[in-house]
This record gives sequence, structure tokens and C-alpha cells, in this order.
Amino acid sequence: MTAPTPEVLALLEATLDAAVIMDDRGRIEAFNTSAEVMFGYRAADAIGRNVNMLMTAADRGGHDDHLRRYLTTGESQVLGRGRDVRVQHRDGSEFSVFLSVGRIPNSAPPRFLGFLHDTSLRQKALATLEKERQVNRLYLDLAQVMLVATDRNGVVQLANQRAIRVLKREHANIVDSNWIESCVAPEDRATARAAFRHLLVSGNDEPQVCEYHVRSSDGEDRFITWRGVALRDAENVATGIMLSGEDITDQRRAESEAHRALERMNSVARLATMGEMAAGISHELNQPLAAIANYAQACVRFLRMPAPDLPEISGALEQIASQALRAGEIIRRIRSLVRNEDVRRETQDINELIREVHGLLASDARVHDGKLALDLASPLPSVTVDGVQIQQVLMNLVHNAFEAQAPEHDGAPFEVRIATRVTGSGDVEVSVSDLGPGLAGEAEQKIFEPFFTTKASGTGLGLAISRSIIKAHDARLGYRANHPRGACFYFVLPAHQEAPS
Amino acid sequence: MKDLPQTVFVVDDDDAVRDSLRMLLKSAGVHAEASASAQEFLSSYDASHPGCLVLDVRMPGMSGLEMQHELNLRGVTMPVIFITGHGDIPMAVEAMQHGAFDFLQKPFRDQELLDRVQRALVRDTENRARLRHTDRIRERLASLSPREREVLDLVTQGKANKMVAGDLGVSQRTVEIHRAHVMQKMEAGSLAELVRMMMAVAPPP
Repeated sequence: MTAPTPEVLALLEATLDAAVIMDDRGRIEAFNTSAEVMFGYRAADAIGRNVNMLMTAADRGGHDDHLRRYLTTGESQVLGRGRDVRVQHRDGSEFSVFLSVGRIPNSAPPRFLGFLHDTSLRQKALATLEKERQVNRLYLDLAQVMLVATDRNGVVQLANQRAIRVLKREHANIVDSNWIESCVAPEDRATARAAFRHLLVSGNDEPQVCEYHVRSSDGEDRFITWRGVALRDAENVATGIMLSGEDITDQRRAESEAHRALERMNSVARLATMGEMAAGISHELNQPLAAIANYAQACVRFLRMPAPDLPEISGALEQIASQALRAGEIIRRIRSLVRNEDVRRETQDINELIREVHGLLASDARVHDGKLALDLASPLPSVTVDGVQIQQVLMNLVHNAFEAQAPEHDGAPFEVRIATRVTGSGDVEVSVSDLGPGLAGEAEQKIFEPFFTTKASGTGLGLAISRSIIKAHDARLGYRANHPRGACFYFVLPAHQEAPS
Repeated sequence: MKDLPQTVFVVDDDDAVRDSLRMLLKSAGVHAEASASAQEFLSSYDASHPGCLVLDVRMPGMSGLEMQHELNLRGVTMPVIFITGHGDIPMAVEAMQHGAFDFLQKPFRDQELLDRVQRALVRDTENRARLRHTDRIRERLASLSPREREVLDLVTQGKANKMVAGDLGVSQRTVEIHRAHVMQKMEAGSLAELVRMMMAVAPPP
């Protein structure tokens, strides 16, 4: 055994790593200060003992075998390479070091110099990092919003629990797949793509909001409000996007229910007002008519007398003239009433309006022991209408149809049918037909006249008002006989023209 | 009292309708008086004035139906013809149930109104004649002495003089004298006529 030269010892003391020299049997020859600090042995205590005392129980036996194999075969698993090993402090605590070993040149039998670099700090940092990662994961998963991150190609990097639940898919199934192709509802992919591109190219760091449907694995579409930001690298180049999404499907549904209920109430209220208005109008109009009839008949009687009372007659004629004007004034008032209705035109799907009416009239159908059938063509061009008014007309027509059938109940179920179709000119025809007695002769001529009614309790205004509503929509409310029997009322609404941009 | 002419009382809040009705009735030779409201009519009406009423069902203030109710309370028996508008049929039905004479939907033909008015006036005359008859019977009843009234009640129950004498504890001769006075004061020619008179004034069962 040769004692290390002072240069070697100085070198060993200068390094911050633990340095150990051992002989061919593993006995420690040198043990530097760093080694003392790292392992808790004094150099004097360590020298002469087998180096395997620094190793964990699990590695101890292996070390002697390695050494022996090297000495007989020259094979080494560590020389020139280094490796991570677990070692043991004097107090029994274990830690990791990176071990690099070199054979001291020209030594025979061979001697070895080992450097042990404490890597437990790095390991601790890695463990902390992992823990942080888990906490972050927890944050993501606890979030009540869907969180999705993708790279700049739209490939999903991350999806939280909420996103997984809404999409009803496995995490592994989402990650690494293309977000838009695999999760967005096909109808909304164009929207989603545009929003994605916009996020990547706009330098704006404000979250951008967009809404589109995602499709879950079982085919259910959920409506999501997304807030998206671009993820950027150090050079401020967008590397991907982060989306936070709120599932507003149920909220939307509740809103549209509430909206529909309100509309329903409005139209019922309007209908009731219309009924009251009709009663009021007919009473008012009746007054001057009755007076005119009375005066005229009185005049005839006076004129038949041998000595007619001329002043009385001329007074009556003056009254007739002024009462006729009064009637005209009432009619003018009705007209302006109908015209002053504020018309709120919107581009709408007529089928949707009809489906809403269908819901409203179901009870009407039940009362009449009948059925309201829908025969709706799809797709239909959209139309620009005041939805509530059109619904009012439909309700009036359907109501009339049920009433028309009522007196002839012969056991067959009443059926009223609302149908839509596209006409030859590309416009939308809406018809309401029944299997009642239909209209005969005089009734067909007069059916649209105000105050004409075939019903015992009718005001005769429903159809007249309906016709004025349809006319205000640049259409005409018409009547034709239904096949094989019954009546059919219809109107043709012009298809909505896209305004040239 | 008998000099008062039969009058058709028109009550309608619409000036033109009211005036035209009055004129139509006048042209048919019927005397008419018009009021613009139920209150106006009720405040000036004298129940002894014969005639009939033509009432508008719909009026502000007191409606035709309410006025009919008020007339019933006051014991006015004058027939009421209601004039109704379009869609007032339920009201007309209610009016008929409460004893209206008839109703008319306006506008109407003059003859329809005049026919109804004529029939209503005839009804009023009959009513008043019946009333006059019972009034007379009541006057005669009031002229009887208490003893004569007792005899009348017993004989109209079908009792013979002898039984009446027994019930009242007087002689049969005395009963015969009272009975002769009763027949004379009541201007009855027979027992049967006396019974009819008593039935005419009896309160309805």
C-alpha cells in the first residue's frame, strides 16, 4: 500500500464531493473531509474498514461481487460511467449519491478512487416538483369548470376531471387526441376552429369568450361557454391554448322554458284582450246601427201617414246620417288599433313557432276530444315574422277548426292538422285543416267579414283580425276545401331574403 | 187615475238609441217616455202609471238586470222588454228567468218591437184589472164586522149554518142574519162566488 502523495491529498480535500480511495479488497485507504461530513465517520475511523459499510444493506453484498468480478474478468459496471447508488449515513439514514469510480493508474494490485456526489437535494427538488404537480392537478380537478389545454396544433395536453365528466371519456382517451375533431359537436367545429385560430394569432392576453357544443362519448351535446387564453413561450410565441369552459346547457334550457312560458302568457293575454275588444267593438257598433234602423223605420211609418210630420222626419234623417258617421268612426278606430300593434319582426323558423303553438293547444284538443297533428316540411326557408302574432293566428285557426268539428261528433276522433310546405316559388305555406263540415255557399263568401260568425258564441272577429295580421306580413289568409272533407285555411309567407352584403 | 194613457217607458243610456226608440214608438202611435238611466226612471216613476218598460241590458250605473231586480222589490208589475246587444244572450236568459216579459236583440225590425210592446201593454192591462178586482174585494172585506168576518171564514170552509152556530156559540138564526149581511156587503150572488173572491185575495201558498 502506497500513501497518497500530498498533491493527491490536496486534490481530495479541494473537492466538495466525498472522495474515497480503496484497495483491491475494498478497504478504505483515504477518506476526505467531505466524506466525513457526508457519512458522519472520522477519516481515522473509516480508514482500514471495508467501503461497503457506506452502502445500504441491500447493496452491500453486491459491491464485493462487483469488485471480485472486475478483478478476475476486468468487467466493470461502474468504471468510467458512474451510477446512482443508495448509501447509508453512520446514523443509519439512507440517501442517494452519484458515484463515479476510477482505477488509480499503474496500481497493482489495483486501487480505486471514488467520488460520491450527494444527489438527495436534486431528488428532493424532484419530489417537491412532483408534489406540486399533484397539487396543481388537484386544483384542476376541484375546479367547477372544464379545463382543457392543447398545443398549437389543437392536440390535448391536459383535461381536468370536470372536462372528463362532461365528455364522459377517459383522460387517456382525450389527451393526445385533437380537441376539435374528437370532442366538439360536428355542427360547431367551424366555430371552434375559428376561435382557436383567433386565440393563437391575436396578441391579446385577455381571455376570449366563445360558445359551442361539445359532444360526449354517448352522443349527448352540451352547450359550453369557453374562456380561452393563448399559452406562450419565453419568446412570446403561442405554443398552445388553455380553455376554461362552463356547462350552461341546463341554464339555457331553463331560460328558454321561462321565456316560452312568458310568451305563452303574453299570447293568451293578447287573445283574451282581443276577445274583450271584440265584445266591446260589437256592442259599440251595434248602438248606431240600432239607432239608424229605428229612425229609418220610424220615417217609413211617418211617411205612410196621411199628414206626415215632416219636421220629425227630417230630424230622424239627420240622425241617421250622423249615426252612420258614428259607426264609421268606430270602424276607423278598430283599424288604427290593429295597425298600431307594434310589430316585432324577426327571422324565424316557422316550424319552431308551430311546435310551440302545438304545446299550447294540446289542452284545447283534449277539451274537444280531438287530436292536433303536425305535418311539417323540413328544411324550410326561414321567414321574417312577428312570432307572437303568427302564433295568435294559428291558435285562432286551430281553435275554430276544433269548434267547427264539435257539433258533428260521430265517434271518429277529431283531427286538426297544421302543415307546412315550400311552394313552387320557394315561399312557405302554412295551413290549418280539419275534417269538419267545411264551409258552404254563403259562409265561404262571408267568412272573412268582420262580425260574421257561424258559432253561437262567436264574435266574428277572430278571422278578420287573423286576416289583417297576415296581410300586415305581406301575405293573404285564404280558404279552400280540404280533402276528403272539411275546411283548410292557409297563408303563404315570403321566404326570408338574405340582405346583399 | 183611469185617465193616464198607457205609456212605453224607454230606458237606454245611448242618446241616439233612446231617441230613435221614442220616435219609432211615436210613429206607431204609441206614447213613449224616455229616461237616460235606471235611476232617472225610478225617481220619477209613479206605480199607478200603466204601460211597459223597454230596457237596455247594458247600462253604466244600474244595469238593466239590476233595475229589474229593483222593480221586483218595489212590487212593480209592469212588463219589461229587454234590448240586448250581440253576445248578451246569457244576460237575456237571466232576465227571462227573473220574470222579464221578452227580449229583443238589436238591431231589430220595427214590427218585432211593436208586436212585443203591444203584447206587453195588453199584459199590463190584464195585470192591473186583476189588481183592481182584488183591491175591491179587500175593500169589501174591510167593511165587515168582526163577527161577520168569522161567519165568512167558517162558511167558506164549507160549514153549514148549524155548525157555524155551534162553533161561535150563537143561535142559528143569528148566523143566518150575519150571513145575509156578508153576502150583501161582499156583493156575492152565491156561496161559490164568495169562495172565488176569497181565493183571489188569498196569499199564494
